[in-house]
Amino acid sequence: MNGVHEDEGVAPKAASAVVARGLRRDFGSVPAVRGLSLEVARGELLGLVGPDGAGKTTTMRMLAGLVRPTAGTVEVLGVDPFGHDGGRVREVLGLVPQENSLYGDLSVGENLTFFGELFGLSRAVFAERRARLFEITRLGPFVDRRASALSGGMYKKLALACALLHQPRVLLLDEPTNGVDPVSRRELWQLLYELVSRGMSIVLSTPSMDEAVRCHRVALVHEGRILLQGAPQALLSGFDCPVWELRGGVRDAVFARLEGAPGVLASSPAGARVRVVVEPDAQAAAAAHLSGLGVELVPARPDFEDLFLAALARAQRADPVEGSR
Amino acid sequence: MKSLRRILAIAHKEVLHVLRDPRSLYLALGMPVVLLVLFGFGVSFDMDHLPVALVDEDRTASSRRFAAHVFGSGELERVDAGGVTASDAVRLFEQRRAVGVLVIPAGFGASLARGRTAAVQLLLDGVDPNTATQTLGKADAVVRAAGAMLTSPGRGLPRLPVDVRVRTWFNPAGRSALYLIPGLTAYVLALASVLLTSLTLAREWERGSMQQLFATPVGRMEIILGKLLPYLGLGTTAVLLVLTAGAWVFDVPMRGDALALTACSTLFLLGMLGQGLLVSIVAKNQMVATQMATITSMLPSMLLSGFLFPIENMPAPLQVISNVVPARYFIHALRGIMLRGNGFAEVARDLVALGLFASVVFALGVARFPRTLA
Repeated sequence: MNGVHEDEGVAPKAASAVVARGLRRDFGSVPAVRGLSLEVARGELLGLVGPDGAGKTTTMRMLAGLVRPTAGTVEVLGVDPFGHDGGRVREVLGLVPQENSLYGDLSVGENLTFFGELFGLSRAVFAERRARLFEITRLGPFVDRRASALSGGMYKKLALACALLHQPRVLLLDEPTNGVDPVSRRELWQLLYELVSRGMSIVLSTPSMDEAVRCHRVALVHEGRILLQGAPQALLSGFDCPVWELRGGVRDAVFARLEGAPGVLASSPAGARVRVVVEPDAQAAAAAHLSGLGVELVPARPDFEDLFLAALARAQRADPVEGSR
Repeated sequence: MKSLRRILAIAHKEVLHVLRDPRSLYLALGMPVVLLVLFGFGVSFDMDHLPVALVDEDRTASSRRFAAHVFGSGELERVDAGGVTASDAVRLFEQRRAVGVLVIPAGFGASLARGRTAAVQLLLDGVDPNTATQTLGKADAVVRAAGAMLTSPGRGLPRLPVDVRVRTWFNPAGRSALYLIPGLTAYVLALASVLLTSLTLAREWERGSMQQLFATPVGRMEIILGKLLPYLGLGTTAVLLVLTAGAWVFDVPMRGDALALTACSTLFLLGMLGQGLLVSIVAKNQMVATQMATITSMLPSMLLSGFLFPIENMPAPLQVISNVVPARYFIHALRGIMLRGNGFAEVARDLVALGLFASVVFALGVARFPRTLA
């Protein structure tokens, strides 16, 4: 696990680890990804954040060379995974798919051995890396347990271990924390930080806004497009929409009034209160619309979810036909 | 070198899958033997003791002697206790108590006494043509013999101007097991090997492990070879098991060249594995794969291969189709090798056909096997 070696087969001078331009993928007449571009620097951890069905998995699979784009290009370390040298990409790429995709009837050790063989690791190298991965993931005691009998968190750790065996320079993780308990989740993040600090580039997808904040950079994905991207803190500090918490009033009446209210970008229940994101130049109109309900408007600190909901509402406003499709 | 390692890694993993899933072992080794034994005992064209009723309208000493000769041979079994009339025949057929009714008309004895030809009537139930034909053949023979005994008593069989002496070679007892076992071997092997290969690939798609495989440097040829290698071994074991079972349970001989037989069965197996590969390209879940594999392997190798029905008797379009059914050549070669003692020279054409089929399905399968999920 120490360091990421430069592989001669892949252009070492490519500036970015992953570059995707204008990616589009239709399944039949249904577009899953509709013009998505992104770039991941070396040693960067990019989070693809978005709801289920946003096209994150399809994007990940296109980056991994598993799903052919209908249009657009992908380059991993300067090489097209669908091109003639696609095999070279797979030598330096690790993938942890969202679904369970190891062999449930094989043991932890057998799964690792199998992938070690596929990557052509020598016996000594394999033994050393396996020991190191067992140390990190603490899977050692379960070496003889069948993969199907592992808990959700341990299964993910095994999948990660299988994807790290060949010391990839680019790691793709599709919703890696899905079904993982909070303790394992924290351990996983620690491991990811360690990997990027050694120069690995990671693309991770998640539907969770809490996790988005932990990435170096996030891309908000909605309906196959990136709405917004940047460093989480920079995005939040640049967020221009005020957020209010509505206190008091009758909940149903408040929501009824919020429907179609001028200047209101998004509203969501937050405990006993209602959270509202407002267009900056329509604050007065929104406040006037909400008067008479007996609610108090308390300014709140915007969080990532507010940011995402506002971006979504603005995108739909700008392009109502496409947005509703 | 790296490639060989990857192929062996996949093959090894496949062996582990098989060992941990006893169902696939049963499918590969148990099912062929069970089917062989079931079919071997169950499907038989041999018929003895055909049930036949007698209507004696003559009721003379001659008619009784004639009947005693006819039923004395044991080929036809008399099922009535006497007193049956010709109008009862339909009822006997309906109740399936008899497949034929022999009617000795009134005046039979008188005709014989006057030295004239006496007619007897045989009524047959034609619902099952195979049984009817066999009954007719046997009845014809015993009636001739009985007639001869009556007209020339004490002199044994009559002397005919031309004396035909029939000797059946290779299967003198006319046992249909000898004819059926080679066909059965092809049938069960086709079914098991197409099913197993298509299932192992469909399982990989269904479980999602195919995408993990595709994310590694493993090539599609390596996936295919690694997956098929263990099943070629399993299939070869099944061939040996089935042939051993055939020899042991049904006394099927092995008169020809064992090496030629090995060559034929290996090529046949390769073709069937390739067919399973083709099925899995279309069917990416185990349910669909099972159905497609069963239909594409079972029907042609049973109906269009000459296993049950002679190819020469098929309608012309089916005869043409049977040319691309590999089981046809395998069965032909097996019968030749096992029963007639054939060697490479005689089965060369079959070998070429089997090799051609295997090459074509493999080329198609490899060309169509995807290296992406979509």
